[in-house]
Amino acid sequence: MTTTASAQDLQHAPSPTGGWRRLLLGPGLLRGAWMFVLFGGIGFGIVVLIRWGASWHPILLTEPLVLVSALVSAPVGFLAGIGAFDYWVYYALGYPSRAEDHSGHGAQSWRDYFRVNTDHKVIGVQYLVTTIFFFLAGGMLALLVRAELAKPGIRYFDQQTYNGLFSVHAALMIFLFIIPAFAGLANYVVPLMLGAADMAFPRLNALSFWLLPIAGIMMLSSFAMPGGAFACGWTGYATLCSQHQPIGAIFFNQGVQWAGASSIMTALNFLVTIITMRAPGMTFWRLPLLVWANFTTSLLVVIATPFIAGSQFFSMFDHVMHTSFFNPVGGGYPLGYQHIFWFYSHPAVYIMMLPGFGIMSEVISVFSRKPIFGYRLMALSLMAIVVLGFSVWAHHMFVSGMSSWLRVPMMVTTLLIAIPTGIKIFSWLATIWEGKLHLRTPMLFALGFLSMFVIGGLSGVMLGAVPIDIHVSQTDFIVAHIHYVLFGGSVFTIFAGIYYWFPKMTGRMYNETLGKLHFWLTFVGFNLTFFPMHILGTEGMPRRVADYLPKFGDLNMFISLASFGLGISTVVFLYNMITSWRFGEIAPANPWRAMTLEWQVSSPPPTFNFDEIPQVVGSPYEYGVPGAQHAVLAPSKAREMEEVPV
Amino acid sequence: MRRGSIVALLGLALIAGGVATAVALVPTWLPEDASQQAGRIAFTFWFVIAICIFIFAIVAAVMVYAVIRFRVREDDFEDGPPIHGHTGLEITWTIIPFILVTAIAIVSAIVLSRNDAQAKDTLRVDVTAQQFEFTFSYPDAGNVTSPVLMLPKGRSVELYMRALDVIHSVFVPQFSVKEDVVPGLVTQLHVTPTRLGTFPLECTELCGLGHSLMRSQAVVMEPAAFDSWLKKQEKSAGPPPSSTTTSPTSTATSTTSTPSAAGLTVFNANGCASCHTLSAANATGTIGPDLDNLVSYAKKANRPLEAFVRESIVDPNAYIQPGYQKNVMPDNFGQTLTKSQLDAVVGFLVQSAQKSGNK
Repeated sequence: MTTTASAQDLQHAPSPTGGWRRLLLGPGLLRGAWMFVLFGGIGFGIVVLIRWGASWHPILLTEPLVLVSALVSAPVGFLAGIGAFDYWVYYALGYPSRAEDHSGHGAQSWRDYFRVNTDHKVIGVQYLVTTIFFFLAGGMLALLVRAELAKPGIRYFDQQTYNGLFSVHAALMIFLFIIPAFAGLANYVVPLMLGAADMAFPRLNALSFWLLPIAGIMMLSSFAMPGGAFACGWTGYATLCSQHQPIGAIFFNQGVQWAGASSIMTALNFLVTIITMRAPGMTFWRLPLLVWANFTTSLLVVIATPFIAGSQFFSMFDHVMHTSFFNPVGGGYPLGYQHIFWFYSHPAVYIMMLPGFGIMSEVISVFSRKPIFGYRLMALSLMAIVVLGFSVWAHHMFVSGMSSWLRVPMMVTTLLIAIPTGIKIFSWLATIWEGKLHLRTPMLFALGFLSMFVIGGLSGVMLGAVPIDIHVSQTDFIVAHIHYVLFGGSVFTIFAGIYYWFPKMTGRMYNETLGKLHFWLTFVGFNLTFFPMHILGTEGMPRRVADYLPKFGDLNMFISLASFGLGISTVVFLYNMITSWRFGEIAPANPWRAMTLEWQVSSPPPTFNFDEIPQVVGSPYEYGVPGAQHAVLAPSKAREMEEVPV
Repeated sequence: MRRGSIVALLGLALIAGGVATAVALVPTWLPEDASQQAGRIAFTFWFVIAICIFIFAIVAAVMVYAVIRFRVREDDFEDGPPIHGHTGLEITWTIIPFILVTAIAIVSAIVLSRNDAQAKDTLRVDVTAQQFEFTFSYPDAGNVTSPVLMLPKGRSVELYMRALDVIHSVFVPQFSVKEDVVPGLVTQLHVTPTRLGTFPLECTELCGLGHSLMRSQAVVMEPAAFDSWLKKQEKSAGPPPSSTTTSPTSTATSTTSTPSAAGLTVFNANGCASCHTLSAANATGTIGPDLDNLVSYAKKANRPLEAFVRESIVDPNAYIQPGYQKNVMPDNFGQTLTKSQLDAVVGFLVQSAQKSGNK
C-alpha cells in the first residue's frame, strides 16, 4: 500500500526534454488533443461505413454523426490521450504495470495540476478550480438572463437563445458546480479526516475528475450548434426536449451522462474509502459529521444517478433514433420521463445539500468552540433524509397531470422531511448557544447559510402543501425557492468550506477583510435579488419567460440591478483567492485550533498525508473538555502541533 | 438560562416576527381571488405563512442573540462549555415540527378535496393546446370554439385538456388553479369562477420558442350573458367551427364572404399571428418568417407561389427559409384545418403576399 511510501520515494515523470516524441506520445494534454481528433474521426468513419453499407440515405446525417463522433468517441480519445486509462491498458496487455512508482502522485509544480494525477489533494484542487470556472460561466449566463428580464418585451435575445441561456445556466450550476464542488472539497478533506493516505481507488478518482471538463465543455459548446443550445430547461422534459429541439438538446443528454458517470465513480470511491480506510479507532460514531454527510450523499448518488442516466438515454434515443419511450404517437408516455427524472433529481437536491450540512457541522462547531449538539441525532437525521428522500419525488409533479391520488401521500412524505431537517437546524443553533463565537469568514457564511436555509426550508414547506403548490408552481416563486436552497444553502456552504480549508489546501491564509466584504456583498445582493421573486411568483409571473406582463416591470428591474451587484461580489472572491494563493501569509498547520485530523498535519499536508498512521481515541468535537483528544499522532508530530501559533 | 436572556430572546422573537409579518402583509402577494378555489388556497397560504413566521421568529431570535451575546474577541482562546446534547430538547424539536406539519397536511388535504369536488351542473370545456396557442371548445354547445376561455360566473367548470405537440400548462393567477396539458393524455382542471372580469391565462410549462408569448385570457361573464354568447356562437359558426369574430350577419358571411375575410379568420383563429408578421392581419410575430415576403421566399424555393404557400402550411419542413429552424412550426395543420379553411387561408396569404410584393 501507498501508506508506507514517503514523499522522497516519488519518481516524477522527467520533464519533457526527451524531444518531440515524448511530448507527442507521452500522456498529456497534447496527446489528448490529437487522440481527441483521431477518435472523433474513427467514430465519424464508423457511422459513415454503417450507413453506407446499409444504404441508409443520407449517408452524412448530422444527429448520429455528431452523437457518435463528437459526444462519445472523441471524449474517450481525449481521456485515453491524457493517460487516464494508461495503467489499466498496461495491465490488460500484460506490460509491467508500474503499480508502485507513484509517478502520477502529488504536485510539485503548477504543471502537475494539468495532467492525470492520482493524489486526492491534487484532484480536490483540480475539482474546485474547474467547478469555480463553470460557476463563473453559469453566473455570466444568469446575468444575461437578468439583462433580458430587466424590462418587459423581448429585447436582446431571440427566444431560442434566451431559453438556452437559462437552461445552460441551470445545467452548469447543478451538474458542473454544486455537485462536483462538494465532491472536490470532500476529495481533499475526507481521506485526511479518516487518517488515510489517499482514496481507496486513486486512478478511478483521477478519471472521475477528467470526465467533468468534458461534460462542461459539451454543455457550453451547444451554443455553437446550428439551432442553438439546448433550450428546454435543465429538466429537459419530454416531448419538448426529446422531439422538438435542435441538435443542441443531445449535448445536454450526453453532458449529463459524463457528469453523472463522474459522480457515480466518485461516490463509489467515497463509500469504499469511508468503510475500509478509517484509521484504527475511527468507529462510525467517531466520524466527523462531514464524513457522515459524504457517506450518506454517496449512497444517494450511487442509488439515484442511474435513473437520470436512463432518462437522458431514452430522451436522446427518441431524438436521434426515433424510438418512442416518451412519444405518445408511438405508445410512449411523456410523464414517464418526469417520474424517472425526478426519482433522481429529488434525491439530487439532497446530493446538493447533505455535503453542505457536513461542512456546516465542522465550521459551526470549531468557530463556536463547542461540541456539536446532539451528534448522533445529527448523523441519524442524515440517514433519515436519505430514506425519506426517495419517497417524495412526485412533489415536483403536483400539477403535471399525474394520477391525482398520488398527491396527498407525496405531500405527507415531503412535509415529514422537514422534521430531520429541522433537527439539524435546531442542533446547530444549540451548538452556537453559549459558545465562544469567532466570526471569521467561514463562520459568517455558516450563519448566513443558517438564516437563508431556514427561509428556503420554510418556502419548501409551503411548496409541500399541495394547494399552495398548485398556485405557485412553475412561477418565479419556484425560482426564488430553489435559489434560497441552492444558493443561500449549498453555495454559501461551499464558500464556507473553501474559506475554511483554504489554509490547508494552499498553505496560505486568505485575506480576512476581503473575505468578510465578499460575505456581506453576497448576503445582501442575494436577498435583494431573490426575495422579491417570491412576490412576483405569487402574483402570477411564470418562470422561464423572456417577456412578461408590464405590471411586473418595476420589480424585475430592481431584481436585475441587484443581481448585477451579486455578480460583482464574485469579483471580490476571485481577487481574494488568487492573490492570497500567490502572496498570502503563510498558514500554520492548525489556524482554527480544530480537532479533526486534517488539521493535525502540515499545511498543505505531506504527499501521503500522515508519516505515521494516527490512532483515534475520541470524538472529533470535544471542545471545552479538558485533556480530550480526537487522535494520537506520532509523538514528534504532536509536540510540533502544540507550538503552532493560533 | 437566566431570566434576562429569556426576556431578551422573547423581545428579539417579537421583533423578528413583527418584521416578517410586515413583509407578509405590506406587499400584495396573492392576486385578488376570482374563484372558490382561490379563496381556499389563499386560506392555506396564510395558514402556512403564520406557522413559517413563528418558526422564523424563533430561529432569528436565537441567532441574533447568540451573535451579539456570545461573540468573543479574536484573542480569546477559551472554549465554550462542553454540552453534548439534551434529550428533552431534542424530543421537543422533533415533536413540535411533527405536529405543525401534520396540521398543514390535514388542512391541505381538505382544501384539495373541496377544490376538486364537481357540482352536478358542471360545465365541460375542452382545451386544445399546441405551440403556441390555446383553443377552447364547448362540447355541450355544438363544439363552439374560441381562442379565449369564456366562463359563466358561479358555475362549476371542468376543463378537459389535450396537447398536440409538447407539454403545456394552463394557469390563471386569479383562479389559483393550474394543470399541465400533456400529449397523449387528457388532463383535468376544475374551477368555479366567482368574480366578473378578464384575467390573463398563461402557459407556464416551457413549451419551446414561443413559450413567453403563449397567452390567452379567461373572461368571466354573467350566466345569462354567457348563454347568449354561446347561442350566438353556435348559430354563427356551425360545423366546422372556427369562427371567432361575430357580426349580426355572420351566418351569411361564412358562406358568401370573400376568400380574404374567411382566410383572415382562419389565420387569427389558429394563432399564426403569434409567430408571423403579416401586415394584412396586423400580425407582428417574429419567430417565423415574415409573411409579407412570401413572393421572394417562393422565388428562392423555386416554387409557384400558391403551391409553395400550401406546402409550407401542411408540410412546414419541406422548405426552410435560411435563418429559421426546422420543427418549430406545428406540422399538423394539414389535419386540423378543413379543406375549405386551408383553401381560404392559402388564398388569403397569396392575395396579401401579391399585394405587398407589388408595393
